[in-house]
Amino acid sequence: MTRTPRLTSDTAACCWIPLFALRCETARRPELASLPLALLAPDDTRRLWQVAPLARRSGVKPGMTVSQAIGLCPALKLCEPDPVHYDEQFARLVAALVTVSPVVEPVELGRVFVGTDGLEGLYGEPEGIVEAILMRSAECGMRNLPNAECGMGNAECKGRRREANDPSLKFRNPQSAFRIGWGIGKFVSWVAATRAKPGEAVIVPVGGEAKFLASQRLAVLPLDPDTHRRLLQLGVKTLGALVALPEEAVVSQFGRAGRRLWRFAAGLVSEPVVGRVVPEPIVAALTFFTPVGDRDLLAHALDKLVDRALGDPRRSGWRVQVVRVHAELEHGASWLVAATLKDPAATRERIAAPLKTQLERSPPAGAVERLVVEFTAFAPGTAELQLFARDAGAAARAGRRRALQSAAREIALRIRRPMLYHVIEVQPWSRFPERRYALIDFEP
Amino acid sequence: MRNGPDRLRAVNVPQPAVVELDAVGSPVKIEMRSSECGMRNGDVREPVTIEAVRETWRIDDEWWREQITRTYYEVLLQGGARLVLFVDLVKQEWFVQRP
Repeated sequence: MTRTPRLTSDTAACCWIPLFALRCETARRPELASLPLALLAPDDTRRLWQVAPLARRSGVKPGMTVSQAIGLCPALKLCEPDPVHYDEQFARLVAALVTVSPVVEPVELGRVFVGTDGLEGLYGEPEGIVEAILMRSAECGMRNLPNAECGMGNAECKGRRREANDPSLKFRNPQSAFRIGWGIGKFVSWVAATRAKPGEAVIVPVGGEAKFLASQRLAVLPLDPDTHRRLLQLGVKTLGALVALPEEAVVSQFGRAGRRLWRFAAGLVSEPVVGRVVPEPIVAALTFFTPVGDRDLLAHALDKLVDRALGDPRRSGWRVQVVRVHAELEHGASWLVAATLKDPAATRERIAAPLKTQLERSPPAGAVERLVVEFTAFAPGTAELQLFARDAGAAARAGRRRALQSAAREIALRIRRPMLYHVIEVQPWSRFPERRYALIDFEP
Repeated sequence: MRNGPDRLRAVNVPQPAVVELDAVGSPVKIEMRSSECGMRNGDVREPVTIEAVRETWRIDDEWWREQITRTYYEVLLQGGARLVLFVDLVKQEWFVQRP
């Protein structure tokens, strides 16, 4: 029996880009950076998902309905979400981080843990590792994700943040929205990342976890709201205050969850980063009843095989980076083409497109008896990607949105001004008909 | 709700209308484009007779901010088209709005 190797690392670097989706939008459309911006929720366009700081200052919060938000901030700019784009951008980041360490654990859009055990030989001290991560992230374009706390300049933004505590060290890459925390285990590195300023890193030295955590606020713990409220009522506001209580006393009040929280706060819990082993090549093959020379039929077969290979359970959570097609021809000859995707993909269209181009340019020299598609290299995807891949409805919606965007671009080119709008409910209950619905620009 | 670039564009914004009233203050004629009242004989602004007032209601709201007081009339025009009119009782101006 073969045993699946486990990729784990005790030391962790947490890479965090807050409001990742919103930053993707402002990177794509820089003119939005100076506006009070909010993204609509992908699953409920009546509610807000992510809100830029400029809009937050007017009291707009994630989860609010559009009508509530417009009431608080009439100048609010609403954007339709493009989850596939955010996912692609995040996959680029994850793929770049894999070049620093093979142990990479994406958690959510904008947050990923990198295992750093054994990297000292390559990069030296944690400072060197962090620098390598920052460089790789910059190379893959993440530096371009603006550190505009929407309307707030870098200097001002920094001035408003408190310096991180000793014994942490800091690194600076002021152009970036990227924050890195380094420490033992995922919890310490995550808390360190939340303390880092944009473009900088906070490193918690080995052995300094308890001291670092002591001054942190309770909110960094994985708490439910009720426990949070009860602890605050008991006068416990920091992890240090929690640890100052006897462990057994916390357990008697909060049960098993209390013990876990106390141990987290004391820096005694160290969850390793768990990477995933890259799957073996995935193969899908088709033997024709009679040899096929028709290119349309071959292209169709190619689509079907790519679909079948994408549906392999081992592919879930991975994007395809290298794909090969080989064909067994009549009279014993063969044909082979390969494509390396610049941006790893998990959709049939994007994987099959370069193969079809090659099929047109250099078709097989004879009729094909057997056609084989092989995914040979992969790049990590995200939890969100897996959700999209499993949810055929979401994938179909994303496809329709793209088709609509393409049509909208064409219309804009032809008539030279935006004439497409999206109808949203603003105050559907209003007694004034003109307040019930509104149009926002449909911007591809 | 105001319209403009980078803003929400309101749908069904009331359009100013010229309304002729009877002795008790009910609308009897409205001057509007033919196309607006569902007729196809050109786009000429002309008075259209109101056949019947089907329903009337009043809305008083936002007295704590900038008071809105309107009396709405759902009317049937000559030719069968249905229309909603209201009079802004603060400014004494008439508007037409889609039902």
